[in-house]
Amino acid sequence: MNFLSPASLLFALTIPVVIVFYLLKRKRVARLVSSTLLWQKFLAETQASAPFQKLRRNWLLILQIIMLLLAVLALSRPYFAARARHSQLRVLILDASASMQATDELPSRFEVARRQALAWVDSLRDEDKMVVLQVAANTEVKQSETSEKSALRRAIQACQAVDSTTRLLPALKMAESLIRDRGRDSNPEIHLFSDGAVPDLTDFGNQALPLVYHRIGQGANNLGIIALDARANPEDAGQRAIYVSVANFSTNQLQTDLELSLDGKLLETRPLTIRAGQTSAQVLVARQDHDGVFTVRSTLPDDLAADNQASIVSLLPQPVKVLLVTAGNRFLERALRAAPNVQLTVANDCTDSAAKFDFVTLDGITPTVWPAGNVLALHVGNTNWFASLATVESPAIVDWRSTHPVLRYVGFDNVQVSKTLVVPTPTWAVSLVDSPQAALVLAGELGRQRILWVGFDPLDSNWPLRISFPIFIANATDWLNPASARSAQLLVRAGDPFRLGLTTPATSAQVTLPNGTVHPLAVEAKANEFIFGDTFRQGVYRLRVGTNDTTFCVDLLDAAESNIKPRESLNLGTFSSVAATSLRRANLELWRWIAVGALAVLLFEWWYYHRRTV
Amino acid sequence: MSAPLLTPELLRRLEQFQLLASRRAKSTARGERRSRARGQSVEFADHRNYVAGDDFRYLDWNLYGRLDKLFLKLYEEERELPVRIFLDASESMAFGEPRKFDFARQVAAAVGYVALCGFDRVSVIPFPENKAEAAIRGALRGVRGRKSTLQYFRNLTALTASGSASFNEAMRRGALEARQAGVAVVLSDFLDPAGYESGLTALVGRGFQVNAVQILAPDELAPSTYGDLRLIDAETGGVQEVTFGKYRLAAYQQMVQNFCQRLKEFSASRGIHFFMVSSSTGLEELLLKQLRQAAMWG
Repeated sequence: MNFLSPASLLFALTIPVVIVFYLLKRKRVARLVSSTLLWQKFLAETQASAPFQKLRRNWLLILQIIMLLLAVLALSRPYFAARARHSQLRVLILDASASMQATDELPSRFEVARRQALAWVDSLRDEDKMVVLQVAANTEVKQSETSEKSALRRAIQACQAVDSTTRLLPALKMAESLIRDRGRDSNPEIHLFSDGAVPDLTDFGNQALPLVYHRIGQGANNLGIIALDARANPEDAGQRAIYVSVANFSTNQLQTDLELSLDGKLLETRPLTIRAGQTSAQVLVARQDHDGVFTVRSTLPDDLAADNQASIVSLLPQPVKVLLVTAGNRFLERALRAAPNVQLTVANDCTDSAAKFDFVTLDGITPTVWPAGNVLALHVGNTNWFASLATVESPAIVDWRSTHPVLRYVGFDNVQVSKTLVVPTPTWAVSLVDSPQAALVLAGELGRQRILWVGFDPLDSNWPLRISFPIFIANATDWLNPASARSAQLLVRAGDPFRLGLTTPATSAQVTLPNGTVHPLAVEAKANEFIFGDTFRQGVYRLRVGTNDTTFCVDLLDAAESNIKPRESLNLGTFSSVAATSLRRANLELWRWIAVGALAVLLFEWWYYHRRTV
Repeated sequence: MSAPLLTPELLRRLEQFQLLASRRAKSTARGERRSRARGQSVEFADHRNYVAGDDFRYLDWNLYGRLDKLFLKLYEEERELPVRIFLDASESMAFGEPRKFDFARQVAAAVGYVALCGFDRVSVIPFPENKAEAAIRGALRGVRGRKSTLQYFRNLTALTASGSASFNEAMRRGALEARQAGVAVVLSDFLDPAGYESGLTALVGRGFQVNAVQILAPDELAPSTYGDLRLIDAETGGVQEVTFGKYRLAAYQQMVQNFCQRLKEFSASRGIHFFMVSSSTGLEELLLKQLRQAAMWG
């Protein structure tokens, strides 16, 4: 134990004053008695006649001295330094993500984290400073560098847990930048209060980040919906199939009922039994005759409520109008026609902006007028999309991005290409298929136009003969269809911004949150896109921009976040990790408790005094 | 006029008692107590040979008829029993509710009344000296006969408690003054810093049959005043500071018990009948029960 104010121990010199007060005696009531003989004998028998015996035996004096000692001790501000060093700057990062709402710690993990953080604020020395960051989907600076405890407490009290995922990397980068230029003597520290449900922090693998990880949480009793999608039922186009993945992150087999409702009307309840650590994929089929919101709910009460329910906006499918500009390609035409719900128009040139089509397929033809909508460009080099262009003979396909929706179930194992255009990957696109020289297939969004570019002519390859070709075309049709893009826009992850293109100018908008709160918002007159960022709560949001109503859903849908098992350590890359600290707080100041003890002694002394005189 | 010391009912009941003396009376005055002296009474004691000049009325003619010798019948002389009542009239006896001195006077009146009824001589010796009451105190010495009862009570009522007493000194003087030993009744609170041992020992040594009655006030047995006190001794003027609370009451009472127990043990070792009473005790309880059970009278 150390003392922040050791000079206050000099107050102990006041103890003799108490003894002097004692020796000075109290005011006594004079009383005439028949004889003091009995009293003398009484005092002699209680062995209180000698002065120092009185000192030893007088509990009031002892209590007063104890109280004074406690007061002196409190004034000297003792603290337990524990194993923590002095730190002139501490960056407190409070994890406010969905998993921190878990109730395995009462009242919740976040409240426990807040309490611990407040304890650290209490232990702050006068010359030390602290920064408070709240991290969820975004990093928020709740309090910049200060040593003012009240401001720090206010900042921590103002933090709120949300339903979003944890993006710790930006927070750590910010914290690292805050402590970067500190001298070695200042011992800056980053304190992370989290359950460790964060993605890999590889960027910090080789840095000696002074990170102290305060692990919050105990259990992992959670059943969560981690994926949700609504599509046309492949077996019956008139129906919708809702794909749901429910994962059991607990260590026990769990049983639940999965409820499906459309616009609040219960359609189906399905009992589920999921073994520990397993994920159950379910397809729920429902008939839908109007655009609506499907909500899936798991009825089992568990530690985390945020992932027990998920909603998705389901729009009725409309025919996809495709313009194929080609000099003649039966493979492509047939593949396009085979894609579901496509109305194909074939032309040899594009003479207007093709506004009535959902997207345009350019098969090796540079159009007279470039279409304004989405484009699937096959072997089209004469564009302003790329900085340079080259031709490569017999490129080897070495890699493809199978996680991209366009390449879902598409493989290039046995595809040979005789000649192709290759381009360096521009900033607006990602490379889907790579050769050693450059990208063969690119997908991206330029402005608000989706572009899927294939460098080679399919007829210059054996790809049209492979099963992957029609699948690719079907995927591309789906990806380029603005309606499906819009459907995808209507489901956002908690914490991500909701974006909506504005076709007509509007000046005001209002959003109704899941809890019924209405947020009026101002929209810039020239804005062609509406962005709403306050999507921290799971549920159905209703947006009114001008006269248009839009419904969108915010869901967690994150397996990493639903897995609420607290991590023992944080991985910083492959080779380093930060173990959870056992330190509760540094510089545990004790003066409050001692002051409380002194007060208790004072009260006890008062009671005792009255007890012996009344 | 102050209240009578004893009620008529109590007096009537006390008349039935007689002081019991374990020793034979040594007084020279005639009375109703058996003594070792031979004289005139109805109690046969012994025979002795007739010598010339003896009173023929005491010859045992029946014995002369059988033995043909003259014997004289001897009878026990009945003498009086001196009863000395040592009454503590110091300032400390003026305390208590009811006052200890009032209680002591009542006991003295009762003992005196029983003794007077039994034709014994009663002497009340109040201590310490009080010259203002010299006449009354003189009249209380050597009271005899039932007819003196009223005056005896009057004189007792006129006594006051004041001054500082030396218990031992008073007892020693009382023992020396007595021409014949008899029954001594000591009525005091025994709260003398100098102790009581030598005084009582002097009485016993003089041959008195001593009955000690310790009278304490209820407030002395269980004080009802608490707090930080500065106690002033009424007799000596001595000061004692004490902090006293209810929680120490038990310890105080234990101390009083110990004090009384020591006095009792001392008395028992000297053959003294010891009684401890509170001044709030009923007089009948003491007189008709405790003293009777202790065979002081019967």
